[in-house]
Amino acid sequence: MSENKEFLSVKDLVVEYMSDGQVVHAVNGVSLKLERGKTLGLVGETGAGKTTIAKSILQILPDVGCRIAGGEVHLDGEDLLKLPEHEMRKIRGNKISMIFQDPMTALNPVQRVGDQIAEVVRLHSDDKSHAHCEKRAKEMLEIVGIPAERYYEYPHQFSGGMKQRVVIAIALACNPDLLLADEPTTALDVTIQAQVLDLIAELREKYNTAMLLITHDMGVVAQVCDDVAVIYAGNIVEYGTKEQIFDHPTHPYTVGLFGAIPSMSEDEEWLHPIDGLPPDPTDLPQGCAFAPRCKYATDECRKGPIAVYKTADGHDCRCCNMNKIAEQEG
Amino acid sequence: MPEATMTAKSPKTKARKNSEFLRVLRQLSKNKAAMIGLVIFVLEIIIAIIAPLIVPYDYTMLDMTNCFATPSLAHPFGCDDMGRDIFSRVLIGARYSISSGVLAVGIAMIFGMAIGAIAGFFGGWVDNIIMRILDVIQAIPGMLMMIVISAILGPGFVNTIIAMAFGSISGMARMLRAQMLKVRENEYIEAAVSINCSKLRIVMSHLLPNCMSPMIVQGTMGVAQAITLCAGLSFIGLGVQPPTPEWGAMLAGARQFIRQAPHLVFFPGLAIAITVLALNLMGDGLRDALDPKLKN
Amino acid sequence: MAPVIEVQNLKKYFPTPRGLLHAVDDVTFTIEKGKTLGVVGESGCGKSTLGRTIIHLHESTSGKVLLEGEPVNNLKGKALRAAREKMQIIFQDPYSSLDPRKTADQTIREPLLVSGKYSKKEIEEKTTELMDLVGIDERLRKAYPHELDGGRRQRIGIARALALDPKFVVCDEPVSALDVSIQAQVLNLLKKLQQDKGLTYMFVTHDMSVVRHISDDICVMYLGQVVEKCPSKELFKNPLHPYTQALLSAIPSTDIHHPTKRMVLKGEITSPINPKPGCRFAARCPYATEACHQPQKQEEVSTGHFVTCCRIHEL
Repeated sequence: MSENKEFLSVKDLVVEYMSDGQVVHAVNGVSLKLERGKTLGLVGETGAGKTTIAKSILQILPDVGCRIAGGEVHLDGEDLLKLPEHEMRKIRGNKISMIFQDPMTALNPVQRVGDQIAEVVRLHSDDKSHAHCEKRAKEMLEIVGIPAERYYEYPHQFSGGMKQRVVIAIALACNPDLLLADEPTTALDVTIQAQVLDLIAELREKYNTAMLLITHDMGVVAQVCDDVAVIYAGNIVEYGTKEQIFDHPTHPYTVGLFGAIPSMSEDEEWLHPIDGLPPDPTDLPQGCAFAPRCKYATDECRKGPIAVYKTADGHDCRCCNMNKIAEQEG
Repeated sequence: MPEATMTAKSPKTKARKNSEFLRVLRQLSKNKAAMIGLVIFVLEIIIAIIAPLIVPYDYTMLDMTNCFATPSLAHPFGCDDMGRDIFSRVLIGARYSISSGVLAVGIAMIFGMAIGAIAGFFGGWVDNIIMRILDVIQAIPGMLMMIVISAILGPGFVNTIIAMAFGSISGMARMLRAQMLKVRENEYIEAAVSINCSKLRIVMSHLLPNCMSPMIVQGTMGVAQAITLCAGLSFIGLGVQPPTPEWGAMLAGARQFIRQAPHLVFFPGLAIAITVLALNLMGDGLRDALDPKLKN
Repeated sequence: MAPVIEVQNLKKYFPTPRGLLHAVDDVTFTIEKGKTLGVVGESGCGKSTLGRTIIHLHESTSGKVLLEGEPVNNLKGKALRAAREKMQIIFQDPYSSLDPRKTADQTIREPLLVSGKYSKKEIEEKTTELMDLVGIDERLRKAYPHELDGGRRQRIGIARALALDPKFVVCDEPVSALDVSIQAQVLNLLKKLQQDKGLTYMFVTHDMSVVRHISDDICVMYLGQVVEKCPSKELFKNPLHPYTQALLSAIPSTDIHHPTKRMVLKGEITSPINPKPGCRFAARCPYATEACHQPQKQEEVSTGHFVTCCRIHEL
């Protein structure tokens, strides 16, 4: 394993959609870094642009009405955005795999589960013999905790958690270096979620895979991630290690997110929601996108683009009132 | 501080008077092809209505000196085998052709939807009996069925419409039933039950409006189909009888002269083709426009 | 004080081609006025069916439901309509619970209209009042559901449920489809409405942190049966049933410095169709013995803390 510090790096990524003549600003200048064997959590609300970021890395954005308006995506020093499609095809599945949110629709209902894994193996391995692919597929099933005998069954014979395991087996079949997991456990029950999260963590350790985990669940982040990026309206508002974000949340949005979760240890009469709603991505406010909902917002926040401030080594926060807020709150 | 939570505001939604019809029209107006279809069809209807006022000749007037006359300034579409002005006959024919299509589909929709609604809402044995009867009816090929009905009732404009309507009732009923079964799964139907809506109100106010989009699309396309069917029935002599200038009947009457005088077939045929195309374009556009989930 | 809702040995079975599906099996509980009973469990445990059966959206198979002391589960016609006005439901999915072709005010107005008790003017006044109550701006009166976000849709659903001044409201996962910041807004609203109007809630959810926040008492369900029932605080402090323990330990905690020791269950939920007698959790339970496959009894371990597990004293 190479000790490349920056295995994946995304710089100033900008993605726009066209919708009914309006430009949807889905991702607005996102930069992030990921090392081998590490997990970065992308946290944010519905429509914040989390999935779009993952899809741009894999370049599976829809062809029509969507474009990457700027930025770079480097994987192992190679700019993926500059690669032609046939090169990209080799990278997908081989070096990068994606796990989608809904296991119910990710599998082909009329194909045997095992064959679906074998197909991926065949596409990406040198030995294309049937025997080899089937053997590898059975291995993968065992790895994700499904008996190899179930190779010949169809997806409808599997429960939700089992299907998600199969999806993970498919994603890992080619030992990818980078795993993009888009809400991999959101559709599952907690006890099953616990099983799947453990499985992902175990496999990641075994293969030293880097993972970008997209989720809205702070609990999942706390359990799985090394670093965390908090996304709001297509922009990273706070970025740091898990300890930095959870122990010293700095951006008002991050603070608000933590505050809004009902506590498991304290009793409180009222929750502390963030007032208002996320902004319309076709009509983002000037300046800080969070300003309309922020109780600390000043005129400065509404003026122009907000710079990124460092609070500690590796802990970035996109808030111009950061220090003032810290003083106020003690 | 729960009061603070009540001050949400969104830039997305503006207060405005929202009429469903206007919304659909606005959505439709963005689709060029659909608008062309709509304009053509509306023009045709207007022509059909005012046809008696604008036709240059009486459509039944025989003029043996002009038999098979080719298109000219006096007779823009030429004349048929009896010297009747084809232009006038096509204009008058629009009344019969279009109304036969619209009426047949209208009748089929009313009955089909009533049957489908009953089957879809009550389910159980009611549904079973209705569906089996429809199965039997649908087992008979449509064209054959219409021929049989036309043959029993005898040819004629009204009978043709009845035959065509009867033929498409089961299709309409099936479609509405399938749609109702789908819509019935939504929680807002359960919500309606829990706030004490009567069954009738649930069907009329919640189920049917949400089942209408595909029905309207189907209806629009159905009119096009009915016009060609009606032409077909007339063509084999079971539909509208000469000298009524229904387009299909005109085609039928002119088929023996197709080599010598192709314009006899060409103009009524063109009229049918344009109408069918316009309706299909409209149907496609409506399909998108009627979907309330498509944002403006 | 007499309980608002009293459920006695309620059962709801659905016939399926493979046998009887025991969606709700012998559930008993009461809820006092102004209190909230949380019902938790995983998908398919029958918690939603339980709520729907209580308010008579499903006919019960057997058992009793008493609303303010009056039996309501075998009512028909007028009596049923009167009872339904007192029992309402807030749905999970803010997308499918509103008629896409009705504007906000039309949806809120409908129960008032259907009840036939109000004049046109009163209906208009009450609609405005309800919109104000749940925090829907006047300018959104004519908005269609697709023009609104999930939180606002859910508010409309709440207004519709409260239109007829019900005594008892079943909240069927009302916040699971919402983002956390919006979820907190809606939870606060529900709590405020409960205080102002003295509402009694049955709050169905799979989210343990939400249920902990909102409930006074909690029922834990597994495959149609209540396995544990006790006051909210007690459940989180002292979970006794192995399933409850597993459920609680599986929640990913946001406390990064004290990771919970997880009790990972083997296997998955078994089928609720023609279940065998005995504890339904036994197949996944790490402590299961022969005795667990015999019919189980509910036991009051301490005041107000009920557990259905035959090995409870040994564990």
